Amino acid sequence: MDIKEILFKLADISGVSGNEDRASELAMEYLKKYSSDVKIKNRNVIANIGERSNDKPHVLLDAHIDQIGMICTYITDDGFIKVGNVGGLDRRLLMAQRVIIHGKRDITGIIVSTPPHLVSSDEKKASKVPEIEDICIDTGYTKAELEEIVSLGDSITFATECKELIGGRVTGKSLDDRCGVVAILCALEQLQGEELPCSLSVVFSAQEEVGERGAKIAAYEINPDIAIAVDVSFAYTADDIEYKCGKMGEGAMIGISPSLSRIISEKLIETAKMYNIPYQIEVMSGLTSTNADQFSVTRCGVKACTVSIPLKYMHTPVEVMQISDIENTARLIAEFIRRCS
Amino acid sequence: MLEHLKNLCELNGASGNEHMVRDYILDEIKGKCSCHVDNLGNIIAFKKGQKASEKKLMIAAHMDEVGLIITSVKSDGALTISAVGGIDASVLIGRQVLVGENNINGVIGAKAVHNLTAEEKKKAVSIDKLYVDIGATDKSEAEKYVSLGDYVHFCPDYEDFGNGKIVSKALDDRVGCAIMLDLINRDFEYDIYFAFTVQEELGLRGAKTAAFAIEPDFSIVLETTTAADIPDVAGEKRVCELGKGAVVSFMDRSTMYDKELYKIAFEIAEENKIPCQTKTMIAGGNDSGAIHVSGKGVRTIAISAPCRYLHSPSCVVQKSDLEACEILTEKLIVRIFNI
Repeated sequence: MDIKEILFKLADISGVSGNEDRASELAMEYLKKYSSDVKIKNRNVIANIGERSNDKPHVLLDAHIDQIGMICTYITDDGFIKVGNVGGLDRRLLMAQRVIIHGKRDITGIIVSTPPHLVSSDEKKASKVPEIEDICIDTGYTKAELEEIVSLGDSITFATECKELIGGRVTGKSLDDRCGVVAILCALEQLQGEELPCSLSVVFSAQEEVGERGAKIAAYEINPDIAIAVDVSFAYTADDIEYKCGKMGEGAMIGISPSLSRIISEKLIETAKMYNIPYQIEVMSGLTSTNADQFSVTRCGVKACTVSIPLKYMHTPVEVMQISDIENTARLIAEFIRRCS
Repeated sequence: MLEHLKNLCELNGASGNEHMVRDYILDEIKGKCSCHVDNLGNIIAFKKGQKASEKKLMIAAHMDEVGLIITSVKSDGALTISAVGGIDASVLIGRQVLVGENNINGVIGAKAVHNLTAEEKKKAVSIDKLYVDIGATDKSEAEKYVSLGDYVHFCPDYEDFGNGKIVSKALDDRVGCAIMLDLINRDFEYDIYFAFTVQEELGLRGAKTAAFAIEPDFSIVLETTTAADIPDVAGEKRVCELGKGAVVSFMDRSTMYDKELYKIAFEIAEENKIPCQTKTMIAGGNDSGAIHVSGKGVRTIAISAPCRYLHSPSCVVQKSDLEACEILTEKLIVRIFNI
């Protein structure tokens, strides 16, 4: 399995929260190799693997399929698109950024930036960042031309495509959380054909970036005993707080938090130690801001944990990560499942 | 012209690093004129006409673009940068870039928005807080791939845009270079000098030596200029607009343009129905600033294509404006020899 190739394909395809279709359909195609029971239901991709029975646990493996972006809210008389943000957007980096508007066909847009002659010196001193309602997108079309292509509610993504960096590291726009999707696919590849001590559901969930909504309904439907949210977390960069971050290249970050199941956290750590899989511990003091927050309180409660892949520059068009962290996360998940009785 | 423009925009050539652009141009004009490269790196090309004139005319456009230069490698492998030419940090943050002569991939990242304070979210970044990440995790790994003084360029990504427009980096001033390459292919009655200049973005430095060497009587500078025809900008603050043709200005921050040439340009435009506009704000500057005060003075005019988002990785021009610039220049050349 060529992890990098699949990651690039999944991360380059669009799937802004609520408009995940293209990414979901591609992810579903990959999943079909490992399960004959795959469907998209209420926007979530759901696959079942193995016979469910009362004498073995049912495990939910989740990665969210959606990505942050923007949504068209209005077309101005001179043909510019006004937007709303979908998920957490860093407005400092929007100026002159190239985007793709996913209308009837994909078109290129440029986020309008204020030319320097229009910025008064007072403003320069304050170096203000535009509010989201001040953002508009140039498409090079008039309003009438644009209305043939773009409808209100269409989604907008950054235009950057995945590229390789040195040392087995890569950059792309929606590695959050397509790398989690790839890690799960890679774990399923390792488990393929094996008799497992548990039954499995895989969910590539929708709308995580707008409040873990897909995960909420998927977990209700699946009703698992154990749920693992495979997502990304902060990889340390010099401008961040070291103790709050993981390190890129040092393996999956296993979550420990009052809101997570300590039993599962410990089992993951034990598994990593047993098989010499590099790992890091990510201690959180409350909620995790991942789908695990929803899983743990589903129905009568689920033993939930996070397994996070370290990622630099999260939610920017240039997220950076290391491929070996996906491999190590996949190994950890596969070994955990093999021991999950 | 558009084919040249696309090819030229795919090349990297920040100020002082124009050699790729220069090599392309030298290759294109080979055999069509006599040319040499001066000590700064300007191309001085002489195109023989059917006859010589007492008047010497120089057409100029600059080859360089804005970019970045690597100033240090930090212990964690991050590359600190400084701007080459005027670049706002807000068009650098969150971009892919190409680093060094081998064009290795890099990014200018930003701390995750989740970890920004409310204050940080609202404050635009400054360039000294930004760095280029090539994927290195320590200094020695980075130093295998980059050296101090290496240039960093925006990724070339020229594409057709909207209805009849183009988006790309470096349209400033590959537009001027592309028009000059077209003009060099035409036959003119009189001799013409073409100067492809370097280091405009650092302060019109190439134009200074080119004009000194050529000693022209007249000069036409081909450029791009800021268009602010965007929402919520009204009246004179729009400066000039895409689709309204060539921009001929009477004054900017570097030059009071020759009044007669200014008048003639609009006369030609009207006679030939070439779309032409002036700038409604005194803003910007170009190689004219160095040329018009060269030697004993040079009668100078600039013909510019209106361009949105100048000095960003995504500049936008309209094809019909480029055509207007080219036709106007061609007709003005003929008229200048008859002044």
